[in-house]
This record gives sequence, C-alpha cells and structure tokens, in this order.
Amino acid sequence: MNTNISRGRLNAKKIAPPGLSLLALILLSLLPIFVTDYTIIKINSIISFVIIAVSWSIFSGPTGYISLSTAAFYGLGMYASAILGNHLPLPLVMVISGIASFIIALIIGVITLRLRGVYFTIFTFGLVELLRNLILWLEIKFSGTRGRFVPSVDFQQVFYCILGTLAIILLISYLIKRSRFGLALIGIGESEDAAAHIGINTTLVKVLGFSISSFAVGAVGAAMATRTNYIDPGIAFNMLMSFMPVLMAIFGGMSTIPGPIIGAAVFAYLEELLITKVPEYFMIIFGAIMIIAILFLPNGLTGIAGKLFKRRKGAGKNANT
Amino acid sequence: MLKRTLAVLIALLMIAAVFAGCNKAGKTETTDPPSVDENVGTEDTGKDTQPAAEKESIVFGGVRSQSGVFATFDETAFGPCYRMWADKVNAEGGIYVEEYGKKLPVELIIYDDKSDMATMTRLYEKLILEDKVDFLLPPVSTAFLYATAPIADKHGYLLIGAEGGSTTLLDSIAQYPGFFSVLNFSVTQVPALVDILVENEIESAYIVYIEDLHGTEYSGASKPALEEVGIEVHGMKAIPPDIQDMTSIINDAIDSGADAFLLFAYPDQNFLAMNQAMAMGYNPDVFLVGPGGNFEFIKGVFGGAEAVEGLMSWGGWNEKSSEKAAQFAKEFLEYNKDDPKVSIDWWGHLPYYTGLEMLQQAIEKAGTLDNARVIEVLKSEKFDTVMGEVWFENQLLASECYLGNVGQWQNGIFEVIDVGENRTADPIVPKPAWPAE
Repeated sequence: MNTNISRGRLNAKKIAPPGLSLLALILLSLLPIFVTDYTIIKINSIISFVIIAVSWSIFSGPTGYISLSTAAFYGLGMYASAILGNHLPLPLVMVISGIASFIIALIIGVITLRLRGVYFTIFTFGLVELLRNLILWLEIKFSGTRGRFVPSVDFQQVFYCILGTLAIILLISYLIKRSRFGLALIGIGESEDAAAHIGINTTLVKVLGFSISSFAVGAVGAAMATRTNYIDPGIAFNMLMSFMPVLMAIFGGMSTIPGPIIGAAVFAYLEELLITKVPEYFMIIFGAIMIIAILFLPNGLTGIAGKLFKRRKGAGKNANT
Repeated sequence: MLKRTLAVLIALLMIAAVFAGCNKAGKTETTDPPSVDENVGTEDTGKDTQPAAEKESIVFGGVRSQSGVFATFDETAFGPCYRMWADKVNAEGGIYVEEYGKKLPVELIIYDDKSDMATMTRLYEKLILEDKVDFLLPPVSTAFLYATAPIADKHGYLLIGAEGGSTTLLDSIAQYPGFFSVLNFSVTQVPALVDILVENEIESAYIVYIEDLHGTEYSGASKPALEEVGIEVHGMKAIPPDIQDMTSIINDAIDSGADAFLLFAYPDQNFLAMNQAMAMGYNPDVFLVGPGGNFEFIKGVFGGAEAVEGLMSWGGWNEKSSEKAAQFAKEFLEYNKDDPKVSIDWWGHLPYYTGLEMLQQAIEKAGTLDNARVIEVLKSEKFDTVMGEVWFENQLLASECYLGNVGQWQNGIFEVIDVGENRTADPIVPKPAWPAE
C-alpha cells in the first residue's frame, strides 16, 4: 500500500513539470482573446527572451561553457527572415533559420569545441563580430547597401509562431534533462576529463549540445526580425543579445529548467516596466538588481524559491512529528 | 543571515521598482499647462475617437535614443528642436484645431529606446496602441526611421523624419504615403559638393567612410559623381565605428597625393581624423567631414575658430541665409542658453524645426487631428516656415527649399558655399593650414 502511494507520488512528481508547462502553454495560447494588442506585442518580446535563455541554458547550464554566440545565431535568423520573408511563410522561414543555425553551430562546434573555459567564451564572442563584419562586407560588396527591409508579419502570427517554438524548446530541454545525453552534459560540467575517462565522447556531446541550443535562437531571430522591419549587421548582430541570456539565466537560476524561464520573464518584464515608467532610474535599479543577484544569489530566483519551499516543508514535517 | 537579508533587499528593490512604475505615468514631457489625456492607459485598441469636447491636448509621441550610442543625437540634434517647438506652441496657447473649436496645447510623450532597434519598434507600438497618441515624432537615425515607417503606415499615422535620410529612402518612400523627410542628404549634397570641387579645379579625391548606412550611401553616391566630372578617386577606405587610430589611413591619403580628403563619418571618427591630420601636418586643399563638422561646438572642441578655418562639412545655413533663419538662430540660442550640451547645428536644426512647423500648420489647415487628412494637406500645400516657403515633392522636402548643402568654416561662421544663389561666401580653396600646436 505504502509502495503504491510513493509510486503515485513519484509519478505525480514526474508528470507535474511537463503537465504544468502544457497547461501554461494552453493558457498562453488563449491570451490574445483576453488581452490588448500591445500586451501581446510585449509578451512576444518576453517569450522570445525566454526561448533564448532556455536555449542557452541547455548547453551552457550543465557544461559551464559560457557561450556568447547567441547574437550570432539570432542575427543569422534575422537575415534569413529579411532574405526569405518575401517568398516563404514565417513558420517555414523559422524552420529554415533554425536548421541553418544548427548546421553552422555544428560546423563551428567541430572546429572549436576542443577549446576549453575562457578560450571558448572568447571565441564565441569573436564569432559574433566575425559574422557581423562578414555580412557587412558581403552587403556592401554585392548589394551595395548596408541594411535590408524585413517583411512585416502580424504580431498575432508571430505570437503563435514563437509560442510553438517555446513549446518545442521546452520539450527538448525536458527530454535532454532526463536523458543519458543530459547526464553526459552534466558530467562534462563536473569534470570533463573524468567524463572522457568513463567513455563519454565529450567533443561529440558538446558539439551536439551547442548545436541544439542554437536551433531555437535562429528561429526566434527570424520571427522577431519581422517586428523590427529593418535590419543591418549592427542591429542583427547586437552583442547585447549574447549577454542577455547569460544574465537572465543567472538571474533565474541556471541549474533548473524553470530558472531561465523565470529569469527571462522577470528580467524582460522589469526592463519594459522600468524603461517606460521610470527611465531616469532604469539603469540604476536594473544594475543594482543584477549586481546583487550575481554576487549573492548563485542559484538565482529559483534558488530562493527552492530554499523557501524546503524550509516550509521542513517546518511542516517537524510540526507533524 | 547576510544572504537572507540580501534576498529580502532584492525583493524590496523589485517591489519598489514595480510600484514606482505602476504609480508613475509614462515619461511625459508636458509644457505648460499640464495636459490631461483621459485615453492614456485604456484598453481599447483603435485610434482615438473621443468626442471633440473632451479633447484637452494634442499628444505627440516619440521614441528617442536618450541613452546608448545615439543619445548625442537626441541631446543635440532633433531633441532641442521639438522641445523648443512644444514650448513655443504652448506659450502661444496651442494649435488651433477647427473640429474642437479651440487651441489645444501640445503634450509630449517620449520614451527612451536605449539606442536599440527592437525596443524602439516595440515602444512605437505602445505609443500607438496603448497611449493612443495623436501624432508621432520620429526616432533617431536613418535605420530607425526605416523601421518606424512601416509601423506608422500600418496604423495610419503620418511620420515626418528628422535625423536621417539616404538614397534607399527614394526607392521605398512611395510604399509609405504618410512618411515625409525634411533633412537634405546625399541626393542633393553630393552634386553640390561636386560642383564646388569642379569650380575650384580639384583633380583628385581620397574617400574614407564609416561602415554604416550613412558612410555607405555617401561614398556610394560620391565615387561615380566625382569620376563623371573627371575627378580621380585615389583611394576609398572603410572604417569601423569604433576606430581608435587613423594614422595609417591618413598616411595612405598623403601618399595618394589627392587634392581633397572626404570623410563620410560621424563626430567621433571625424574628430579623430582631424586631430591626427593636425598632428601629422596633413592639410589637403579640401578637407570635408560629415556630421559633427556642422555643429557650432566644433570650434570649442579644437580650441577656437582658427582651428577649423577652411574645414568643410554638410549643411548648410547660417544667419546670413535669410531673415527668418537669423531669427530662428537667435531664438534657438536664447531657448537653449542654459543647456551647455546644446549647440546650434548648421545643417539639421533648421529643417527639423521646419518639419514641426509644417506639421503644426497642416493640422491647422486640416482642422482635424485625423492623420489621413493632415497627410493630404502636407502633400498638397505650401507652408510658411523658418526656412521660408516650403513644400514636399514626392514626400521629400523640395530641393529648392534648402538654404544650402555644403558649408565651410570661415572666420568662425559656417558659410554656405554651394554654387548658386544660396552661397553666403566664396569657398576658400586651398584650405588654410591647421594652426601650429
């Protein structure tokens, strides 16, 4: 009888995260019926940051390899949208952007993922600059201009497209977390040498992890480009987009799936709120929050929540005994 | 204990931030009298349709780069113009709108985009959908204008651009019937420069341009125009925005022996090149720089008027151009006398202010805040402004309306040196030597 109860609890524990995520996605999909147009536009921006932060944490979270290449794949997605947007529907452009980002990440990964630690981080930083300058050179050389118009797409269509991408990336993140592949990524983060010794092909795992994490970034870049209407290399390959997911994931907590989601959502919402309501204090408040979070909250917002939950549970048990 | 305290501190900070945000309306720059717009913050998504009697102000909304890399533009270029215009209009009681039967004061809602394109486009949608402003003010820079034009067009708003303009605009402007541009750019300025160079028997040029839309456009337009009149282009170098050393480029320009050094870049790169040219004793017959060279403050940057004597830049107008221009310069300087950051721009300030006056007069002539009807007036009427009588042709300010396209510093005055009736002084070629250090 007791075994059945504990099995039931275990199943509930297993089912709860995907179940809750599914419920949240269904509720989100109904939002356009109930909220204003601008709220949807704002939510588009928040969801896009959530996707980017979750994607980033798929690889960098468990391995500890800090990638600053997000802006590179986001920018590629934006350019794919500018080039293909007039000829193909947005969902197809997003799929193509995602696949292109995946393949480019695969190639880059094969070349560079033997690099470790800070060398890898610096390389990914340089990758953004390399792509920005390469595209700038190509544009000036062959098209004689610097920027491109991106065909505008209705914000509701963008909303459903990026919501679909969010569902996919959450599913991928959840499956990786529960797979041997996910364990291998964690193993690399714990000790890459030890992981190699027990038979893990660390380079293959890293390359695949890096590539998977870039897929949704490219896709969401393609979707969000339709909201900016015009891009040039400086706009598309904006380094800020590389730092944002790192900050968001740290803010929310890197070691769990909800961490980057909560971090990105709170971060993006706070940014929007502060910049429109108290622009004079925006940077001060934002900077103070970030410094405190980075210095004193190693497990981010979810870390605090987890601790509070455990303490409450502990107090409850003590009370029962 | 420390960690717990910090966690509480963060929570309090966040709560404080949220409360501060919720309790304060958007950053509203209201000139006297304070305005009331009962529609702000309502849930409707359509344009403002409230009855005439309830209207208390005309709300102009803009997203400007008040922080980040483009912040200087809002501080020094269009920013001082729209603030001065709003104050002046309100001091006169507002803009008369026939459908309301009274003058309505101007209210400004300005958001900061942090010089970020995605933030800028999103906040314009906020201005339109949530704040329901009556008219839009333009963002900073050509690229941002390109991104805003489709948004304004989609929602039926007119948009008169300020800082920005390029030849790409000519291809796309017809798609957006409510988009207008007032600043002169390469289309009128490059031919004017070529005329001046030909007049002064310049035979060769060396071009340096910043790797952005401005640099690409100006260099792309200049090279064929120069070659067409027989001026050889001895070199053409692209520079990144964050360039820190231009000595190798200046050395190359010296080696090329070109008569004219044409630098299509922004203040940071222009001033760097000037400093290094001074240090290296590089003083070609013609030395032209882009934005920054047309601001009054350049004399202070280089230690006085003699330091920039003979320097050419885009423009141009000055107090000698017309009585109205002189009056505008006087009023502008008086209005901004307490702000040390603001300096007169002998290229943009006059057209920027003209655009605002055109909008004001178009609203008055249309007698309504309906953007579609105001657009029709802007397209069909002529307007009496600080630039004189002006009008739009194919949504651009007609080329004959400009008071000049190229200027040159002469005895502390930014003289218009275009060939023709706008000229306020003959060009000085060759350029006098840089002052000895």
